[in-house]
Amino acid sequence: MTTPSPAPESAPYLHADAVSVSYGATQVLDRVSLSVARGELVALLGSSGCGKTTLLRAIAGFVAPTAGRIVVDGRDITRLAPEARGTAMMFQSYALWPHMDVAANIGYGLRMRGRPRDAIAKRVDEMLKLLQLEGYGPRPISALSGGQKQRVAMGRALAVDPSVLLLDEPMSNLDYRVRLELRHELRALQQRVGIPAIYVTHDREEALTLADRIAVIDAGRIAQLGTPDEVFHHPVSPFVAGFMGADNAIDVVRTGDAWAWTPAAHGAPRARAHFRADRARLAAPGTPAGQGTVAVDGTVGQRVYLGTVYRYRIHAGADDFWVEDAERRDEGAPVRVLVPPDGLLVFPEAA
Amino acid sequence: MTDRRNWAGLALAAPALSIVAVFFVAPLLMSAVLAFRGTDGGLTFAHFAKAFEYYSTDLWFSAWIVTLSTLAIGVVAIAIAGYLTLGEHPRTVAILRWLYRWPLFIPFIVTAQVMRTFLAKNGMLNHVLIGSGLIEPLQAQSLLDWRGIVIAFVWKQAPFVTLLLAGAMAAIDRQHIEAARNLGANRWRVLFGIVLPQARRTLMVGLVLSFVSMLSVLSVPMMINPNSPTMLTVDIAYRINSHGDYAVANALCLMSLVLASFGAWFYLREAAAKKAEPK
Repeated sequence: MTTPSPAPESAPYLHADAVSVSYGATQVLDRVSLSVARGELVALLGSSGCGKTTLLRAIAGFVAPTAGRIVVDGRDITRLAPEARGTAMMFQSYALWPHMDVAANIGYGLRMRGRPRDAIAKRVDEMLKLLQLEGYGPRPISALSGGQKQRVAMGRALAVDPSVLLLDEPMSNLDYRVRLELRHELRALQQRVGIPAIYVTHDREEALTLADRIAVIDAGRIAQLGTPDEVFHHPVSPFVAGFMGADNAIDVVRTGDAWAWTPAAHGAPRARAHFRADRARLAAPGTPAGQGTVAVDGTVGQRVYLGTVYRYRIHAGADDFWVEDAERRDEGAPVRVLVPPDGLLVFPEAA
Repeated sequence: MTDRRNWAGLALAAPALSIVAVFFVAPLLMSAVLAFRGTDGGLTFAHFAKAFEYYSTDLWFSAWIVTLSTLAIGVVAIAIAGYLTLGEHPRTVAILRWLYRWPLFIPFIVTAQVMRTFLAKNGMLNHVLIGSGLIEPLQAQSLLDWRGIVIAFVWKQAPFVTLLLAGAMAAIDRQHIEAARNLGANRWRVLFGIVLPQARRTLMVGLVLSFVSMLSVLSVPMMINPNSPTMLTVDIAYRINSHGDYAVANALCLMSLVLASFGAWFYLREAAAKKAEPK
């Protein structure tokens, strides 16, 4: 299922057309189509095993699609060997070669392209400067910190002026703080160089902050493709809503022009409404709900302190969900949850 | 306090150390000592002089055969292990993986026997070459000379080095290989630029161990090429079996030991380098 999303500003530079990949009898990608414009960064977001890395590897040439085409700048690269594609990939483990120093790692791609020695040295210096690693050229890889390794891997990929930059969870091995810092650096760098990039991640926040568009992938298909704003605020399916953080779900029925909560035990539910933990608020039992607001009566379960707010597990009939609230409440206390209409994401119940 | 702990440690190691001393160090020293002891019991270099006079050609022959074989084993092992690591046809890789290990389980003497029938003038190799029209019947020649020994050694030892090398190559992160291919390296360049440098130590160790064990093989030169020039092992056996001449045999053994110690020196140097390497 795909939604119409704004067409990329320029014509697609990279186009994957109905790409399918199978490992033996297991279908990993099912007719996935994706276009990336020049200078655009598209995030492939999904849980592990959903096929996002496989799509990246198919573009890089490490897995052969069973069907479909991959076109870069008008050239069909579907059957080309990985080394003939001109893509550059950054790996989760960085995959820096320990038997070479920093400069040799960064210059490797240029060496493979037969560039003269002094041209390579010049380009390596440029990259070191760009990545704020001046003077690190002769260092061994083992002497670098995680963040520095990440930068060297970035430099190695960018040094060859790749047609497409492929990033396979490049931040997942870093500390949270380093990751935050490098995330912005990476984005700035990618925009400055203007290379189309595909960024695989399972981290929602990372996808939202980095990407021009996000493709949410579920079980080998693109569940939704759109701008971060679209995907975050207008998820097209319960799966996307859940993945984008609206993972509270309650059963609702239509009453007049509004939705009302119905404990699942009372008759057949008509729809499933998702909402985010921070979009609902807790009130005393019996507090009147405003127009369109859904009221859910339940009791407070587990309490988790998050720093600025508490996060409460609420038991309401057959439903269990989390709500954030600034006020401290005791476990077992009766409570009314109010979800405003603009916080509700309602999906018709699948038959 | 520390003294007592040292003594306790030594006491624990003593049984093992005494076994090593009695069964390995003592016979080695005896052999070395006897190589220098004359019939009158005094120090003499006569045995060495005799050994050199009779067998210096064989000394060089042994060194040459074993060195050449070691190099050839390296080439074969790199080729097979490289294909096992980087080959793209899963079935070919599986067949090769299954096939290459067989010689590991075949003793040297059986190898030598197999090679005798395979490499002889009217052996299987020449039959095949003549049958396929590659050579004329008159061109057929026996390979049962130094070439036969080298072929037998390579056939027998290459799988051993391949086994070690392929293991080391398989232990390399696949992403290292993919990163190189992604940046434009074909499989040859991946093999020699990325994979082999990271598995180099293991290759060296495998080659050194092969070098030393080939130096001590008696059966292969005895069966394929027992005539002069031949390998030192044949000469040692001859001195003992035909002449009861332990003195010259000991001198020849010491010469073998010097050759082998080149290998040991290489091995220890690599081991030290590996220890010094940052993790």
